[in-house]
Amino acid sequence: MTQSSVRYSVHRMWYSSRKTTDLVRKVIIYILLVLVVLVVWVPFMWAIAVSFSPLEKVFSNAVPFTWKALFPVDFTMQAYVDLFQMFHFWTALKNTFILSLGTVVFGGLTSALAGFAFSRFEFRGKGLLFGITLFTFMVPLEVIIIPLYIMMTELGWMNTWAALLLPGLANGLTIFLFRQFFAELPQEIIDAARVDGASWTRIFFQIVTPMSKPVMITGALVLFLGAWNSFFWPLTVTSGENMRVVQLAVAYTTGDHGIIRWNAKMAGAMLSSIVPILILLPFQRYYVRGIANTGLSGQ
Amino acid sequence: MTQKERWTPYFFLGPALALIIAFRLLPALTGIRESFYGISFVSDSGKAFTGLDNFTTIFSDRTFVQSIRVTVLFNLIVNPLQILIALGLAILANQNVRGISLFRSVLLLPVAVSLSTSSIIAGMAMDQLGLLNGILTLFGQPQQLFLLSSKTALASIIGISSWIGCPFWMLFLLAGMQNIPHDLYESASIDGATTWETFVSITLPLLRRSLLFVLVSVTVANFLLFIPVFILTSGGPELSTSTVMYEAYRRGLVYGDIGASSAMVSALLLFIIVIIAIEFYLTRSD
Repeated sequence: MTQSSVRYSVHRMWYSSRKTTDLVRKVIIYILLVLVVLVVWVPFMWAIAVSFSPLEKVFSNAVPFTWKALFPVDFTMQAYVDLFQMFHFWTALKNTFILSLGTVVFGGLTSALAGFAFSRFEFRGKGLLFGITLFTFMVPLEVIIIPLYIMMTELGWMNTWAALLLPGLANGLTIFLFRQFFAELPQEIIDAARVDGASWTRIFFQIVTPMSKPVMITGALVLFLGAWNSFFWPLTVTSGENMRVVQLAVAYTTGDHGIIRWNAKMAGAMLSSIVPILILLPFQRYYVRGIANTGLSGQ
Repeated sequence: MTQKERWTPYFFLGPALALIIAFRLLPALTGIRESFYGISFVSDSGKAFTGLDNFTTIFSDRTFVQSIRVTVLFNLIVNPLQILIALGLAILANQNVRGISLFRSVLLLPVAVSLSTSSIIAGMAMDQLGLLNGILTLFGQPQQLFLLSSKTALASIIGISSWIGCPFWMLFLLAGMQNIPHDLYESASIDGATTWETFVSITLPLLRRSLLFVLVSVTVANFLLFIPVFILTSGGPELSTSTVMYEAYRRGLVYGDIGASSAMVSALLLFIIVIIAIEFYLTRSD
């Protein structure tokens, strides 16, 4: 064997072993990807199957587990019918839509205005006020739930829309997101409008807002998901079916004599999940960008 | 800015600031104040300043001390666990293979599901006749009581809160990883660095800010965990899942002992602040 042919075969061996490790690496990655997807999604698929099964057959194929458990036994929509007839789910859906849309509109508007002020104006107390805003972003509602509850009792606001809606509008996170976005807009455009004699209100609504679609979508998503998924605060300030929201309605879906109607409960769980998933689906990019923004500026 | 416009910033800030002061700042201050007040039958307001009485009372209360034990144990396990899994998921989702964007979407969508709904679904999966026992049987393992036994209930709550929690925290870490300039990896690869060396010397240091953000957020979220406990176990069996937040809720809103409840939350908050300070100290750059 000549020197050059040895070199060639060594090179070939090295090259092919690298190719094999690359293949092994890819196979391991795909196995892990499939495993993660299964762990995350199989319980959901089972829950979907349960929601379309009759009550007496909900756990039919679960123990021992067979793939049939992921499909409904004797497909029926009865659980969904029960949900609306027995558990007033329609009221809960309607309440939660009003709560979520109200939070998006009023929370979005107040946050955008505040974000604009923090990004474009210099004024006395700016540092302190921004500090207070960040404080609300760091301190979750859980911490103040008891004093907030006392406040609502003293105001006589228990079981009212004001109590359900207003605390959720104070959102430091969305103010922060708006501020970050507005700070990046070119100053020249605003200066030009100022020279033309436009008022700040006009600049905000006619110049800045039309340029801010991405942050408006991100902010709206954050506010909508927060309101739609809220549980602890509605639990604290509302009582009875008239003011009940979806998340509470799902938790309270228990039939007479303490029998858990698993199929109706899962029907509720599916309806409570499908709305935020469908809203997130087309806007994933905006949501992830918002998350990237908050995570990367954590200092 | 003209004289007339001196108030413009405050006009823009006004609505949001009023909401924040009324519904965040004020209640936070009231909560701290309430921890130093007790019920009084002589004063007009029905309460009186009692100093540290509430704190001495709760710390000699066995139920509360048990809830501290549960909270500390829970957090010692759940925080490192969730961060490690989230980091692993982020590394996986950051691989450059075909179909990875589909995987990211598939993992992102459940994040929209609420903690209460995911707790209910996971709770059903942990039923004696449920999915998890079915899978255990499939692999020839003994069935478990999960939430019904004081031995396994806390571990089950850890699993439930991590199920959708980890993919959520993963999003922040993935965003941080994608923010790392690609040429750094290229030059490391030219220098012949192994995957592990690249991870330790490039990925981890440049991910520090995202990791710290997730670390602090995970800590706050888990120390204040309430929903799965409220929905699935009510603190039981035998107080094995009774977290401080749940105990504070029960004491304040179920039994109406606002002073003790506020003292519990204030003590918890102080504790969280100390933990976060330690986390900042441990992850400082130099």
